[in-house]
Amino acid sequence: MALLHTLLLSFGFGLITASILAIAAVGLSLQFGITNYINFAYGDLLTFGIYTAFVVNQHLGLNIWIGLVIAVIATAILAWLINLFILRPFTDRGTSPIIMLVVTLGVSLILQNVILAIFSEQFQSYSINTGTPLTLGPFLFTPLQLGIIGLAIVTMLGIHALLHYTRLGKAMRAVSDSPELARISGINTRLVVNAAWLLAGGLAGLSGVVLAFNVASFTPTVGFGFLFVIFAAVILGGIGSPYGAIVGALVVGLATEMSAAFISSEYKDAIALVILIIALLIRPQGIFASRGRA
Amino acid sequence: MPTWIFYLLTLAVFGAIYGTLALGLNIQWGYTGILDFMYIAFVAVGGYVTSLLMLPPTQAAFGETYVLGLNWPFIPALVVGGLASALLAFIVGLLSLNRLRSDYFAIVTVAVGLVLYTIAGNDTPLVNGWDGISGIPQPFQSTLNLDANSYGFFFLGLCLIILIIVYIFSERLYRSPFGRALRSVREDEMVAEGLGKNVFALRLKAFVIGAFIAGIGGSMLVIYVDAFNPSAWTTGETFFLWAALLLGGSANNRGAMLGALIVPVLFAEITRFLPTFGSPQVVDAFRYIAIGILLILTVRFRPQGIIAEKRFRVRKSKLQRLESALASASTGVQITDTDLADNAGILPDGNAPLQSEEGKTL
Repeated sequence: MALLHTLLLSFGFGLITASILAIAAVGLSLQFGITNYINFAYGDLLTFGIYTAFVVNQHLGLNIWIGLVIAVIATAILAWLINLFILRPFTDRGTSPIIMLVVTLGVSLILQNVILAIFSEQFQSYSINTGTPLTLGPFLFTPLQLGIIGLAIVTMLGIHALLHYTRLGKAMRAVSDSPELARISGINTRLVVNAAWLLAGGLAGLSGVVLAFNVASFTPTVGFGFLFVIFAAVILGGIGSPYGAIVGALVVGLATEMSAAFISSEYKDAIALVILIIALLIRPQGIFASRGRA
Repeated sequence: MPTWIFYLLTLAVFGAIYGTLALGLNIQWGYTGILDFMYIAFVAVGGYVTSLLMLPPTQAAFGETYVLGLNWPFIPALVVGGLASALLAFIVGLLSLNRLRSDYFAIVTVAVGLVLYTIAGNDTPLVNGWDGISGIPQPFQSTLNLDANSYGFFFLGLCLIILIIVYIFSERLYRSPFGRALRSVREDEMVAEGLGKNVFALRLKAFVIGAFIAGIGGSMLVIYVDAFNPSAWTTGETFFLWAALLLGGSANNRGAMLGALIVPVLFAEITRFLPTFGSPQVVDAFRYIAIGILLILTVRFRPQGIIAEKRFRVRKSKLQRLESALASASTGVQITDTDLADNAGILPDGNAPLQSEEGKTL
């Protein structure tokens, strides 16, 4: 049946989108859990990662996978610096989450447009070998796409190990639960916040580059556009809960890609936004979260 | 007409229109503390509805497709345009204003704005898609028959009248008991609720009023620029108005108008006439970078904006009586009814109740 075939194919695309989304959503969710304010500049961190890998790949002529590693490191450092020089002066003064949101908005405008001023609005792409498509059951994946899914699984396992089996991860969970109690228990919260920004930045860079793999060509606004799809996944899964974010990413990724089987793909992101709105209105604490923050 | 007069006229018209828009956002954010990031969508809805009502029916020969096209006169079209924005705000507010913390409400507004943007762009039969609408009839021109130059001044007058009406309305609103209630919601919704205010209803009203003003201002904007497509109302445009309001001074109407003169007019319009360096996109990019820096610096170093909100002062005699009443209360002496009446009297007497330490709690 033609429709079933289309649906299965788009299910495959959905898995890839979900993989990218999961990496991004876990990063945003981790950062939100620790800092407790919404970060509008997160999407532009993805863009920064994308263009860092682009410079390494196209201007320095190195392999795109080297570009990916450099992008992860560079974006992690950028996120850390943004917190250190722009955001921390505010949080140290006890600025409210609402104003922090406005500040991250300012950061987003600056970051996005610096990239725009350097690289212009034109579409860019990596030189990359997607490989010959492989048929796996009903699905059709290129080796590159399988690589994206594999990368996402490894990242999720890594995050799980970090949060459960390391001192830093446990400290992060403690700070996320209650910064005051964590501080009283002798946890160096400032260190944890720095680590959270490095980690969130790294995940943003990683998800940005694999996003660019998947969409093939990109402009400096790609990250900001994707930000609200990430928000949809994060909010659906319960804000501040990395595991919920993974489930949210799966739902949103599959829903957006499979909707394309029925309506114009122009509305793909709009579907994610509608999920976001409905999720917030019906269950603001997230579908899979036990406790709410909204 | 010499070019520079035409140039000043253009700036004045933009100043009046953006001033009106800033006043509407001020009622939402400055008065009530609502984080509305879809404000530009209200501007767009008002602009679209007014224009579509004034335009003639769609003609296939021109390759344009849009709904309505009713040849309406200006005034009723303007009012309905404003009401359309207000209705949208009512629906969005009704569904989400009472459920969500304000930062999540902000996300919902961005999402709604982006969905509307996607629909307006892709659903071509609705508002002619990405190509947008143009050729909107000039208000009153069919009866006045002015030449282009005089009509420019006439249109400026029209914009100024709207600005003045909205300004007087906003000022009266600020001083009214309703305005005080809005500010109490902004400062501390728990306290407002404790004092018996219906926080949700107050927020919803402020949101709808602000959106109505956005729709009116948006109508004037679309009629003036005479070509309007979705790229004119990206989320970034909302941030221009936000930067204007925060820089000028939230909750101060003169501050809001000053901010509108500085940010959208000076920044955005004047740079259009400057000799271009690099591509237009690069100029645009620098404009947004400047806005971002301005936004951060304002919030960091002058959170109250250039013209701060008027501070509420308690009269000294009243303050002493309140203090003595509090002192006697803390030492266990019973407070008399007159003391209580005096305490209660503080709220209706001044301008801004429950003002926090640093003034406007940004």
